[in-house]
Amino acid sequence: MNVSGGVVRARGLVKDHGQGQSRVRAVDEVDLEVPQGQMLAVMGPSGCGKSTLLHLLGGLERPTDGEVWVAGRRIDTLSERALARLRRRSVGFVFQAFHLVAELSAAENVELPVLLAGRSRREARRRAGLLLDRVGLADRARHLPSQLSGGQRQRIAIARALANDPLVVLADEPTGNLDTAATLDVLRIFEDLRSAGQTLVIVTHDERVAATADRLISMRDGLFVDDTRLAGSHTGGLGGLIGLEG
Amino acid sequence: MGSIVLVVRLVLADVRRHRVQAAMLLLAVTVATATMALGLSLRGVSDALYEQTRAATAGPDVVALSGDTGPAVTSALASLADDPEVVAHHGPYRIVYATLTARGSTSSPVVVHGFAETPGAVDRPLVTSGRWVRSGGAVLERGFATALGVGVGDRVTIAGRSYPVVGIAVTAATSIYPWAAQIGPGGGPSDYSGLAWMTRPDARRLAASHDLPVTSAIDLKLRDPAATEAFMDAHSGLGIRVTFQPWQFKAEQDTVILRDAQPILVVGSWLLSFLAITGVAALAAGRAVEQTRRAGLLKAVGATPGLITAVLFTEYLALALLADALGLMVAHLAMPAIASPTASRIGDAAGPDGATVVAATVLAVAVAVLSTLRPTLRAMRTATVTALTATAHQPRHRPWLTALSALLPTPLLLGLRLTARRPGRAVLQACSSATSVIAIAALLTLHAQPERGYGLDGSSVLPNLRGEHDRGLMLAVTILLIALAVVNTVTLTWTTAMEARANMAVARTLGATPAQITAGLSAAQLLPGLPGALIGIPLGIGLLSLFAAPNAADPPSAWLLGAALATVLVTAALTALPARLAARRPVAQALSAETA
Amino acid sequence: MQDAVLAMLAKEPAHGYHLRVRLRQSLGPLGESMNPGQIYVTLARLEKAGLVVCERAEGLPERPERKVYALTPAGQQRVAAWLAEVGWPKPDLAEFHLKLVAAAAARLADPVELVAAQRRELLRRLREAQRAALAEPAGSGAGLLLEGVVLRLQADLRWLAACERAWSEVDHEVEGG
Repeated sequence: MNVSGGVVRARGLVKDHGQGQSRVRAVDEVDLEVPQGQMLAVMGPSGCGKSTLLHLLGGLERPTDGEVWVAGRRIDTLSERALARLRRRSVGFVFQAFHLVAELSAAENVELPVLLAGRSRREARRRAGLLLDRVGLADRARHLPSQLSGGQRQRIAIARALANDPLVVLADEPTGNLDTAATLDVLRIFEDLRSAGQTLVIVTHDERVAATADRLISMRDGLFVDDTRLAGSHTGGLGGLIGLEG
Repeated sequence: MGSIVLVVRLVLADVRRHRVQAAMLLLAVTVATATMALGLSLRGVSDALYEQTRAATAGPDVVALSGDTGPAVTSALASLADDPEVVAHHGPYRIVYATLTARGSTSSPVVVHGFAETPGAVDRPLVTSGRWVRSGGAVLERGFATALGVGVGDRVTIAGRSYPVVGIAVTAATSIYPWAAQIGPGGGPSDYSGLAWMTRPDARRLAASHDLPVTSAIDLKLRDPAATEAFMDAHSGLGIRVTFQPWQFKAEQDTVILRDAQPILVVGSWLLSFLAITGVAALAAGRAVEQTRRAGLLKAVGATPGLITAVLFTEYLALALLADALGLMVAHLAMPAIASPTASRIGDAAGPDGATVVAATVLAVAVAVLSTLRPTLRAMRTATVTALTATAHQPRHRPWLTALSALLPTPLLLGLRLTARRPGRAVLQACSSATSVIAIAALLTLHAQPERGYGLDGSSVLPNLRGEHDRGLMLAVTILLIALAVVNTVTLTWTTAMEARANMAVARTLGATPAQITAGLSAAQLLPGLPGALIGIPLGIGLLSLFAAPNAADPPSAWLLGAALATVLVTAALTALPARLAARRPVAQALSAETA
Repeated sequence: MQDAVLAMLAKEPAHGYHLRVRLRQSLGPLGESMNPGQIYVTLARLEKAGLVVCERAEGLPERPERKVYALTPAGQQRVAAWLAEVGWPKPDLAEFHLKLVAAAAARLADPVELVAAQRRELLRRLREAQRAALAEPAGSGAGLLLEGVVLRLQADLRWLAACERAWSEVDHEVEGG
């Protein structure tokens, strides 16, 4: 699959919500390119359009105007069915509210996308085992979401997003409902994914989460107001952070 | 006083907000109570119509008939009039057994009563159109004329001779069509027969011309109309073979035509109530979270549990009682047509009697209580704070079903898991399908019964009115049942879709297509619907066998299986639309609604 | 730094080398950039101030590290005073604030741009601290210190976000008027 032009690309992306007088432009002519292996954070105050942007990139919503490409394929013109297939294979979603299926155990939640992709039960079970181990919850496989803490639930949700080896993981405020310790657990997993070369787009209003990324886009009123590369620019030793030097 | 105002206000607000649900409850209970009221009133109405006809036609208290003829018989019969208990009489008169042919081809056995051109004090048939008998002209009994399709001015052939029909009349001296022949020739068994009147000379000529069988009869009016039994006992040793027919017997015979109609309507009303309960329960369950939250809100502002119960129950009870009143009114209006399938009786049906009103009201209240008991109790018991933060019902983890469904294709996987989410709802769907199939099986069984027509030698040129009436009622009940089942299925699918919308949205973010979601939602109704439909077949046959004659025929099993299959297919078609509507909702919207 | 070294000697006299190891342990990755000789410079200053005394340990005369440092009574007093002290480093926000005001007043630079540049710098620092914190095993003392650094940077970033909002509005008003 040719993804040289970026795993995710958008050009002139516009999304309006509502009609007539109450029409609101959530995303306003945005261009974006996320290269393979990049961890991109999108920050901004609530209502700036960052969640909508994420939905557009994952094909959950259709743009009012502009183009979206995922894995070298234009997706804004695809049928619902084709979009579903795309999500199945190429996109993994992580949500603020976890959105786990309440009556399914942790392992069964992770198996769900594998089964939806038409793979065998044995394969689903194998993938679930692997991924739960990866997020450090192998011992919680049989627990129901209601028996798990928020952080654990979100780790299950991440494992589920990874179930079909997606080209890109799209996370919408993944730590919005979590305390500091759980946030760190989730960030550790993201860090682990980043070093494994997983392309990630994270929408957040938490500076800590944003700071884990390689690149940070700031959004306001549907527009990109800043695009910063965080990686690679060394500003001096860590000691500088606590004034041990100089 | 203030709390009554509050209850009324809350109830009205809730009804306004849930019009469809209120309408459904109203409709379902109206149909159920109307059917039950009809079923329970049939006998009383039939009696009332006989009574009114009897009053209008100076109906005899006792008719004495003898299969023998001759002067001895005539004088023996006439001697009955000498009894001091007899205050008036008519006859003895001649009854001739003949064959009547109308419009060239429709032939039927007929009994011809020879009457005076001026009727006497007892048994004065009421002419409803045309005029009374005159020489050469015949009058037909109204039920018979209606079955034949004959009116005043038409000509009929009786025993080979053509007569003009000069009038149409009703009488209480015989039972309704086709039981006009009270005894057969020579006192033997009788065929289904109509009734015609002629002048005495015409009747005598008719009997003589073809040497037709004849019996004699005398109509008697007693001092005490209720004392027929004593009168008959007193004259049992008359010396000749005499058959006494008291008016009570004739009234009883009138109800024979309704023998199957009553169970069809009463059992039908039970099934209708059952579907009403399942449908309203499905709706109430769908609103349970909201109800619980509302109860919590009321408690939080200081409402007592009693007030909360009052609000929750008042709404359903008020609607059910309104529906009850509507149902009784519908029953009253439909009563004459249903209680009197022949045209042999006149009069109006009085309103449903007290017992019927009580039974229908009990039914309506039961539907309201049974369908709202669970959510109401839950709303009352849930602690205030928990209630305020109530979220959708938490389904249980079912590892076996989940593991099993993992082996299936995606739509069935989704369907089975949706079914497993709400087993209670699956049972409701199964019941709904089963009830439809029960009704269809009963209808098919009725159609499969062999029956004797009312025409000559059992010819179906004149259809069996009782069979037709039964089938008509059964068809109506079946249509009502299917209509309610359809509403139930659509409601259940929609409720399931609404409750599962978050999970379905999640499934879509994971790559399930809208078509797979639609198929899954349909499958969730079909999975319980199929066994329900199959169970419906034996249940339907079993239920009918409780009321049917022991030698009743079974319908071909291919019909029954076809009916079950059709029910399942129709269920699939019905679920497709709401499922599709639900599956088309934008994913992002469904997800954010869940978070909010 | 001086106070911390003194406090470390409160339990028992120690070699300069041991003090360095203990400091590095407590600071984790933050202590990596510390000059190896810095501890001896500090100890020499403390000795000069009469807060510690240096004793030459017996038996191994040929190695300079064998000097053992101990607290003097004055040193012990200083440690007690340090522990009781509630002073706290003051965040120096006024300078940046005045920078923005001055830049805006003299039209030297766009304050919003200055904020953005500052924000980028702090985000890079946050990223570094964050990654160092994530690399620490759970329950390590250095991890706790890093957590503090992260939280302060986060607080600063939030203040910068507020600055950005406020100065953008000023911009808009200027443009609008």
